[in-house]
Amino acid sequence: MQETLLHVSKVYKSYGKSTVPSLDGVDFTVARGEIVGIFGPNGAGKTTLISILCSILDPTFGSVTYHLDGEKTPREIRSKLGFVPQDFSFFPELTAKQNLSYFGNLYDLKKEELAHKIDELLEKVGLFHVKNQKVATFSGGMKRRLNLIISLLHNPSILFLDEPTVGVDVQSKIAIMSLLQELNRQGTTIIYTSHHLKEAEEFCNQIILIDHGKIIASDTLNHLLTKYEVSNLEDLILKLTGTLLRD
Amino acid sequence: MKKLKASVWKEILLVLHDKIGLLLMYLMPLLLVFIITIVQNSAFQIVNENKLTVLISNQDKGSLGDSLVKALVHSGSFDIRKNNGLSAASVKRNTIDEDAMLGIYIPANFSERLASNADNISQLMLEQMGVIEKAPKIKPKKQEIVIYFDPVVQENFRISVINGIQSITNGIENEEMVSKLFQEMGYDSIPKNIRQAIINRETKLKIANASLSEVAELIPNSSQHNVPAWSIFAMFFMVISLGGNIVKERLSGSFLRLQTIPKGFALTLISKFLVYLFVALSQLLLLFLMGIYIFPHIGLPQLTMPNALLPFLVVTLLSAVSAISYAVLVGTYAKTQEQANGFGAISIIIFAAIGGIWVPNFVMPDYMQAIGNISPLKWCLEGYYTLFLKNGAWSELIGTITFLFLFTVICQLLIFIKLRIQNYI
Repeated sequence: MQETLLHVSKVYKSYGKSTVPSLDGVDFTVARGEIVGIFGPNGAGKTTLISILCSILDPTFGSVTYHLDGEKTPREIRSKLGFVPQDFSFFPELTAKQNLSYFGNLYDLKKEELAHKIDELLEKVGLFHVKNQKVATFSGGMKRRLNLIISLLHNPSILFLDEPTVGVDVQSKIAIMSLLQELNRQGTTIIYTSHHLKEAEEFCNQIILIDHGKIIASDTLNHLLTKYEVSNLEDLILKLTGTLLRD
Repeated sequence: MKKLKASVWKEILLVLHDKIGLLLMYLMPLLLVFIITIVQNSAFQIVNENKLTVLISNQDKGSLGDSLVKALVHSGSFDIRKNNGLSAASVKRNTIDEDAMLGIYIPANFSERLASNADNISQLMLEQMGVIEKAPKIKPKKQEIVIYFDPVVQENFRISVINGIQSITNGIENEEMVSKLFQEMGYDSIPKNIRQAIINRETKLKIANASLSEVAELIPNSSQHNVPAWSIFAMFFMVISLGGNIVKERLSGSFLRLQTIPKGFALTLISKFLVYLFVALSQLLLLFLMGIYIFPHIGLPQLTMPNALLPFLVVTLLSAVSAISYAVLVGTYAKTQEQANGFGAISIIIFAAIGGIWVPNFVMPDYMQAIGNISPLKWCLEGYYTLFLKNGAWSELIGTITFLFLFTVICQLLIFIKLRIQNYI
């Protein structure tokens, strides 16, 4: 039996005076080393859920429990989480190296370790040759790759990614997905959201489908396809959430 | 400490990359102080050092018109251009044609009327003293010297010129009156010793500046006024750079990432505060150094630093902290960078206007002076004027220190509330 890394229990989240909750009693567990894909239409609650999981937001009710080795305090737990936001969350005026150095120092990495890690990650995503260029001059794909590796500097045990391959070319997408698979092989647990369903089918061990703030299905892809008698993830989502446009 | 150093270094790099922000924070105040001090200094020199060109048409048939012209020449304040061929209407037109600041038309009966009035008063005085039984009843005749001002001459300037001319005509009238008095008593003219006594009796005015301290006096001039005032304006104008920077980082998502890093967000705010504190202090240093070392070389008065150094440092520090707190507040509440820039700039201009940076507070109506009390720039300026112009110290700075402290606390509190609501801290 796989070891539980994350346990989400009856998480409920509402914003302000809104009577419609963004999350309504979300309950699931993630095992160590899994790749979990969270899917659903726009406004289903995916980003809110990811934000709560990486402690950007507090749930209105419910709890999120991490079973990390030795890390007990929220600060210790946070230092083991990696978060790749959908927006480019770096400083375009600075070079790639300056950005990585800044965030690496915030993660309290030692000077030599940080220097080595920066070069290693830049090399892995093909940005080493432009490390001293201002990020503002990068293409969308290069920015997306930089956005990812900033979150990997501190070797997180669990990595959250919100649409990590949105708006990138095929080459960048392959580079990003290869790196994520390599990280997973090395033991990093990954939780991500994406609208690239083909990519997700190949990548995820476990699928969580959310709509209107509730989990409507959760299992391995094969089990879900068999259970709902559909041939792929896209059909599964359409079958469970309908074809009505969501705003 | 390593995290803080990295955070501060990142802020320094961002400030250095913000070329427009740097221009606004350093070049704009330099130009403002430079230009406004020159303009104000020139105006001061026109009033106090340059002679005013006066076109005079003296039609007086007696001698008192000449006495008036001589007195105007003697005052040293006027460059007299005489043209007795001009009518009153011509003086009105020629004042502008000949680039004179003012024109004076002395009517033909000036001496006659003035002598008649002086005679009348002296008769009444003699009657009062019992020298004569009854003074003849003479209807006072109105004197009418016409003064034409160039329309560009401002009201306060006109008043000072009118007062100066009035004072000269009063002197002539008084002398004529005393002369008549002596003539009535049988003298040909005013006895020499009495004439001398009249000249000596003029009250000499010793002009000095009010000061709160006995130590070396600070001389008010355009530099003492403008350098501190515009330095404060420059400090608060950092809202454009800092406020915009905060909104930009928040919208770009880097704040989001910082939320997931232990202490990341707090360190960012602290480092922003430290870097912009340095920016504010370096702005002041630059402007003060310009006032001290460059102004004297370009004909402007040298800036004299206050004698009370510690209170000066405290007021400076509090002003800088208030400016930073306000900029962070605007950046925290603004939804877009345009909103932060627009609201930030306009609010600082309004604060500057009601705070007396452009026009002194005391010339404003009472209600505007009361409104001005909400402006942090007003209190910073008051603190600096207390130090730079009045030679004040701690006891006179209590109001400034209290307001700026409370302003900072309120700003920080509002920042905290907003960031707490947004779950950043």
